Order: sequence, then structure tokens, then C-alpha cells
Amino acid sequence: MSNDIALSVRNLKTFFYTEKRCNKAINGVSFDIKKGRTLGVVGESGCGKSVTASSIMQLLPRLSRIEEGEIIYHSDRGEIRIDQLDRDGREMRGIRGEEIAMIFQDPMTALNPVYTVGFQIAEALQYHTDLGRKERRQRVIELLTDMGIPMPEQRAREFPHNYSGGMRQRAMIAMAMSCNPKILIADEPTTALDVTIQAQIFTLMNKLKEEHDTAIMLITHDMGVIAELADEVAVMYMGNIVEAGTIDEVLRAPRHPYTRALLDSIPVLGRGKAQELKSIRGATPDPFDRPPGCQFAPRCDFATEACNKMPAEEFITETHRVMCWRYREILDNA
Amino acid sequence: MLRDKSLNRKFDKIRAKEEAGLLKPATGSRALRKMMSNRLAMAGVVIFAVILLASVFAPLLTVHDPLKVDLRSMLQSPSAEHILGTDRTGRDVFARILYGGRVSILVGLGSALIAAVIGVGIGAYTAYRGGWIDIIALRASEIFMAFPQIILVLLLVSITGQSLTNLIIIFVLTGWASMYRMARARVLSLREEEYVQALQSFGVPTVKICYKHILPNALGPIMVNITLSTAMFILAEAGLSFLGLGVPLSIPTWGNILNVAQDLRVLQNNWWLWLPVGSVISLFVLSINFIGDGLRDSTDPTLQG
Amino acid sequence: MLTFIARRLLITIPMLLVISFLVYLGLEMTPGDAVSYMIDPEAAARMSDEQFAAMREALGLNKSFLERYGIWLVNILQGNFGHSLSGGVAISTIVLDRLPATLELAIFALFFSTLFGCVLGTISALRRGSATDSALTVIGMLGVSIPEFFFGLVAILIFALNLGWLPVGGRLLPGYETFIDRLPHIVLPGLVMSLMMTAGVMRYSRSAMLDSLSREFIRTARSKGLPEWRIHLIHGFRVALTPVVVLIGFRLPTLIGGSVIIEKVFQWPGVGNEFIQAVRGSDYPLVMMIALLSVFAVLMASLIVDVLTALIDPRVRLN
Repeated sequence: MSNDIALSVRNLKTFFYTEKRCNKAINGVSFDIKKGRTLGVVGESGCGKSVTASSIMQLLPRLSRIEEGEIIYHSDRGEIRIDQLDRDGREMRGIRGEEIAMIFQDPMTALNPVYTVGFQIAEALQYHTDLGRKERRQRVIELLTDMGIPMPEQRAREFPHNYSGGMRQRAMIAMAMSCNPKILIADEPTTALDVTIQAQIFTLMNKLKEEHDTAIMLITHDMGVIAELADEVAVMYMGNIVEAGTIDEVLRAPRHPYTRALLDSIPVLGRGKAQELKSIRGATPDPFDRPPGCQFAPRCDFATEACNKMPAEEFITETHRVMCWRYREILDNA
Repeated sequence: MLRDKSLNRKFDKIRAKEEAGLLKPATGSRALRKMMSNRLAMAGVVIFAVILLASVFAPLLTVHDPLKVDLRSMLQSPSAEHILGTDRTGRDVFARILYGGRVSILVGLGSALIAAVIGVGIGAYTAYRGGWIDIIALRASEIFMAFPQIILVLLLVSITGQSLTNLIIIFVLTGWASMYRMARARVLSLREEEYVQALQSFGVPTVKICYKHILPNALGPIMVNITLSTAMFILAEAGLSFLGLGVPLSIPTWGNILNVAQDLRVLQNNWWLWLPVGSVISLFVLSINFIGDGLRDSTDPTLQG
Repeated sequence: MLTFIARRLLITIPMLLVISFLVYLGLEMTPGDAVSYMIDPEAAARMSDEQFAAMREALGLNKSFLERYGIWLVNILQGNFGHSLSGGVAISTIVLDRLPATLELAIFALFFSTLFGCVLGTISALRRGSATDSALTVIGMLGVSIPEFFFGLVAILIFALNLGWLPVGGRLLPGYETFIDRLPHIVLPGLVMSLMMTAGVMRYSRSAMLDSLSREFIRTARSKGLPEWRIHLIHGFRVALTPVVVLIGFRLPTLIGGSVIIEKVFQWPGVGNEFIQAVRGSDYPLVMMIALLSVFAVLMASLIVDVLTALIDPRVRLN
């Protein structure tokens, strides 16, 4: 596995607009997605993880835009500044689906119900490759087989509602991988699936990572999924990355109160019924009525006066960074 | 940066205001705010009110008697004395439109309200109870809805004869089914909600659950439907009376006044006999549609704010 | 597919029976001898009283209510609808004579309103919030607010009487036979009728498009890097088509009934015009028969629409 960087995001800010208000959904996030490795982005609903993915793919809704920052895609042709490309222009459309692909949370609604699965997978091939109709059909069957779907010739001619949940997600992955993208963004890929099916999808994704050296960005709210799949982790809260590092660093030695709280709230297999589950007090603030400074301060056990000013990013090691004024004390407290 | 320059500028302005701390979360009833900002709906309310009040206060707006025949002033074009001229038997057209409005609006609104009460009343209860009573009501509504409305109305008119009350009853008979269906659909979806099951487990009587707890949640679409039904009935009455098969010709209604336009000579030469009335009907129904749309927009929580 | 149709027919037939029973009830309740009209009046006029009485007996017209209903029903199924009270013409003849005219108008209106409605509604949805959208919305509102006969009158005034471009009414001037000759006659009534339906279809297709475009699969399509037109048409519109077709199906009774007034305004010799005459003249057999036939038309049309829906939407077939 090479350590080459496939995509760099620097100080990205994406704002959402309504008739009168401006919501700073992401307010300055930076990270790298590396080839052949999985970056896990974790956080509660509404923290901005999906918005980050949408920004990279330029799939933002109409009433929003990338305000500042850089999204640099390191392609074979050189560096491409995605944030400067026209959303629906030819260049961006060429990248989307072919070099950066995405899979979504609920495959039932993410697939078009009136077209066959084969048709939908072949669409990407139709627009990104020169394959003829017969060759596309071949490739579709190959892809379905690769993803572990039995009887692929017949399945290609069926509709999404004929598939089971796990199969649908595999079909989605087949669709995303059809053009061998360098980067795969997975937005809560297993949230809508049973636990047993989750495991199968994880295995599949790891296999893809190894076989194609794909850079994966995995978005989830589930720390357990992170522990299984991620090589690097970024913890997001209300539009900022409050802590990031390798999986070892963040899970074994978390430095941000929010990360600590997240880890503390997960039941651990084997500890028994009597284990203490600490829920995080309070609730996420109204995006239009945010606290000044650190967004987590109102819910944080370590908050002080200083937290009214947004903490600066500090590097603990070369790879481990955190945004908290009191991070040194957090570790001592552990 | 977006490709759409004007959208970009708009966003820049909002962002600047937000960062200066000038913007606060919105307060007040969301539904009311949406209605206020919906200019078409507001225009609709104004037009509706103007026409309604003009009809109600007709005696204040005209000195003429809509029924008074005056053969010496037949077919006069608009003048100072008769704002919209006179018709074939010398009756003042403006007065007839004003007083006619009373009947037309009564028929339209009245039928819609009664049809709503019956349709929703039946729909809510039978849908909630389910079982054979629901099936019977459903089949009955299907039978009524299989007839094209005009044909059913004309059929009933031919049997019962023309009169104002007959017409209202006939309209209610042809209109209850769609209200019933809508109410039934809402109640069926609400019935499965958890709060209903909670109420049931507390032993709250069926009728109370149905009318006190479920129905208010369905009020939004019901209101919208009532406005649309009113529009439909007013148009239906106009059409029927135009044909001479609606309200008896002795009572002035908007449709009755239009009856004379069947004659092509009248059409070409006496525009004041039919053009103003037709325009009033169109305006009135248009205003109702504006209001209905506005109501739909403001009671639908899925539309973006 | 066949089982689907069979099941639908199974539901439709009892409904038709119930309605036919109600119609017969209506016939019995109205003044006049409800079934003497079943006999050809010309023949009846030539009969003596005893022959007439014998005829009634032979036709079972003296039996009990239910038996009379049964015989009446059998007659109808054989195509004998009885005779009109005014003029004594066989009702089936009247209907068959007038049907083509009404069908012409209905199909014309259905075709154009669906075409224009879908196109305009889609444009409106794609340009949501723009001036075009607002203008189309208001025009659509006007379309459903103006009484159709009023609009027809205005159209006649402007295009026929004042400008003289198009004939005032009627379907055909005597002596003219070809389709081209007939075209000018169908334009005004057809377009006026289309207008009302177009406004409705436009609103449905706009909201169906907006709904379809807000779904997740649109996002997926975009993430594949497909061009905008394909996303809107092949993905967006195709899925919006189902609710539009269903809604048009709901509107079919209005279409079949709507021709009634238009036919009167434009002196179009169709079934609707005939119906109005019948109501005016208290010609109950004719009134009831046309009503019954219109119900039949509505139910059959609904069946066709449902089959169409099943064809275009694979999710429906499973039901």
C-alpha cells in the first residue's frame, strides 16, 4: 500500500442558505484521503460529514456553495482544483462517477425503481467509457459477480425491488466501482442494513481497497464501524474536525472531550450488563443559533471561559491533531 | 463561486449579515408567516373578500331591484344610471350580478361545507372502525365517483326538477365522495400512529379518539379540499344555469345571467350582458384557487422554508 | 398481467350491476310506463290494444320488479337499449350515431392536453421559482378558474364572429366530407376543451416532477456524472410519469362529462348535446341510458389506465 495522497481538502468551508439565514455547515475542515487506505469520518447527525462528501463530489443542493478552501484531487493528469470547477460542467462530470464515486445510505431509495439494475450500472459505463452495448453488458455481469451476487445474468435484468437489502447495496457498490474510481466515498453504507449483512459489506470494501488500491472515505455515526474498517479517523462536530489521527491514536488515546464521550457511550461486548453507559448531556445546538467559539462547550465537562474562543488546531504527533484548549489534561485524566 | 451570478450576490449579502450578527431565528407561527409571504394567496383573499362583501352588501351598492322588469329600457348599454346596462327585459345588470352573487356563493360554499361535513364525518368514523362498515362506505363512494359529475347532476335534476334546495342537495350527493376518500386516506394513515395506540390502551372511547384526536390532524388537507370544492361547485352551478338546467331562471345567479349568451347575436352585440358576469365568476374562482394553493403550501410541512 | 386484468374485471362487473340496478330503479320511479319504451313505438302504434297487451305479456312486462329488471338487463346486454320517448328512435341508433363525434373531441382533448400539460409542467418544475414558472402557474390557475363555456364563448366571439377564421359551430357543413374539411370545425371546441385539462395536467406534472427530482436516485444519477438532460428526462420525468398517468385516470370522468357543455356551446353533434336535450325534454329512457353508458366508459377507461400504469411502472405489477 502506497502512502500517496489521492485527495486533499484544505480549510474547506461550505455554507447553506435560506431566504434569510446562512448556516455554516462546514467551517474550515482539512484532511487527506490516501490511496489504499480508509479514512473514517465520524460524528452525530447534522455535524457536516455528509456535506463534506457532497462538497467533494460537487453534489451540493442549489441553495448552498463552497465558500472558501481547496479541494485538490491528485489525478494522473496532475492536480485538479475541484472547488473551482463548474458544478455541472464537463470536467466535473467527467471526474464524477469515473474517478471519484459515491455510495449512499439507503440503496432502496438511491436506486431508480423503474429501471433494471443492469441498466443503471451500465449508464456510468456508457458515459465514461467507449464500450459498446454488448461489452457493457459483459462488464455489468463481471461487476455483479465480483460483488458476490449469484446468478448475475438474471439479476442484471431485474429491478431494485426484486433484490434484498444487502444485495442492493452490493449492486450500488458495483455501480460505483464500474469505472474503477480512484476514490470511493461511502456515506453511511451499512446504516440501513442488518448487522450480519454489514459484516459482508465490510469484507467487500476491504477487498476492493486491497485489489484496486482505492482510497476510501467512510462516513458513519457508528464508532464500531470505524473500529472495523478505518485506517485513519476524523471526528467531526458541528462543522469542524475536532480530532483526527490514525485509528490507534484516536481510539486508544483520545484527546478531545467529544471523542472521549463518544467512546464512553458505546457498550462494550463482554463487560456485562452492569457497565456504565454515559450519554452525552445536552443536545446539538441549533445551527442558526450557535455558541461562540468551541461548538461543544455547552455539553463539555471540561469547558472553561477560554472555550468561548474557537480552539486552534494542535498537533500531538505528526499524524494526531486536536482542537481543544485543554487536550493535555484530557490524557492525564484518563 | 456559483455559475449563477445573481445567486452568488444574494448569498454574499446574507453571509455578510449573518457574520455581523444581524440575523435572529424566526419566531411566530410558521403557517401564518408562510401565508403572509405568499402574495398570490393574499391577493386571493382580497379579491374574494371584495366580491363576497359586494354581494352581501348589495343593497348598499345599487338602488336597482334585480327582479324589476322595465320594458321601456331594454338592452341599454352601460350608462351612468345603469353601470352595466340592462338586459332584455330592462333589468339592471349590475344589480343582478350583485344579488346573483349571493345565490351563487351560497350554493358553492354551502354545498362544499355540507359535503365536507358529511364526507369527512363518514370517512373519519368508518375508516377508523374498519371492517364491513368501511367496505360499504368505500363501495358506495366508488359508485358515486364512477359517474361523471355533470351527468349525475343532470340526471338527478331531470328526476327531481329544478329548485335551489334541490340543487344544493344534488351537489352534496355528487360531492361527498371525494371528501370522504380524502378523509379516509388521512385517517387510515394516522390510525397507525403510536399516539393513537397509546390512547386506545388508555381506554379512550372510539368516537372520542376519532373526532377529537385524529381529525384535527387531518384539518389541513380538509380545508384545502373545501376551498377547491367551492370553486368546483360555483363553476358547476354556472354551467348548469347557463344551460338553463340549474337554479330556476326566476332567481338571479351568475350562471342564469349568462344564459342569454347562448344567442349568438347577444354574444356579438350586447357584451355587457355576459362579459362582466363571466369575468366575475372567473375572478372569484381564481381567488379561491389562490387561497387554496396558499393553504396547501402553508399546511404542508415538507416544503422547504 | 392477465390475472391483473381478470381481477379488475371481477371488481368492475358487480359495480356495473349495482349501478345498472340503480338506473333501472330510477327508470321505474320516473313518470311514465317505465318499460313500454322497450317496444318499438312505430310497431306499437299499429297494434291493437289486445295485440299490445299480448306483446307486453310476451316480453314479460307484467312480471315482478326483479324479473323486469332481469329482462331489461338482458336486453341491454344484447344491445337493445329501448327507444327514446321523443321521436321513438332506438336509443342504440342515437348513441351510435353521435358517438364518433364525441370520441373525436375527447381523444383530441386528451392528446393535446397530455402533451402540452406534461411539457409545460416539466418546464415549470425545472425552472422552479423563476418568472417562467410563476407565469405558467398563474396561467394554469386561470385555466382551471375560467368556466369552460365562458372561454368557449369568448373564443367564438374572437375567432369565429369577429375574425372569421374558424366556423362558429357544428361538426361539418353539408357537402364536405374529407378530414381536412372537418379540421377547422374541431379546432375551437377541441382546443377549448384541451385548455381546461391542460391546466390540470400541467399542475400535476409540475408537482410530480418536483417530487421525483427531490428523490435520492436523482442524486445517485448525478454522482455518476450523467449530463443534466438525462437526469431530468430519463430519470426524473420517467418516474414522474406514473403519478401523472394515475392522475389523468382520475380525471377521465371529468373529460367524459366535460364534453357535455362544450358540445352545447359549439353545437357539436355528440352524445353530450343529445343528453342535454333529453334532460330538457324529460326523456328518461335516453337520460338513463346515456348515464349508464358514460359510467361504463369511465370504468373501462380506468381499467385501461391501470393497465397502462402497470406497464410503465414495474413496482405496480406485483400487486
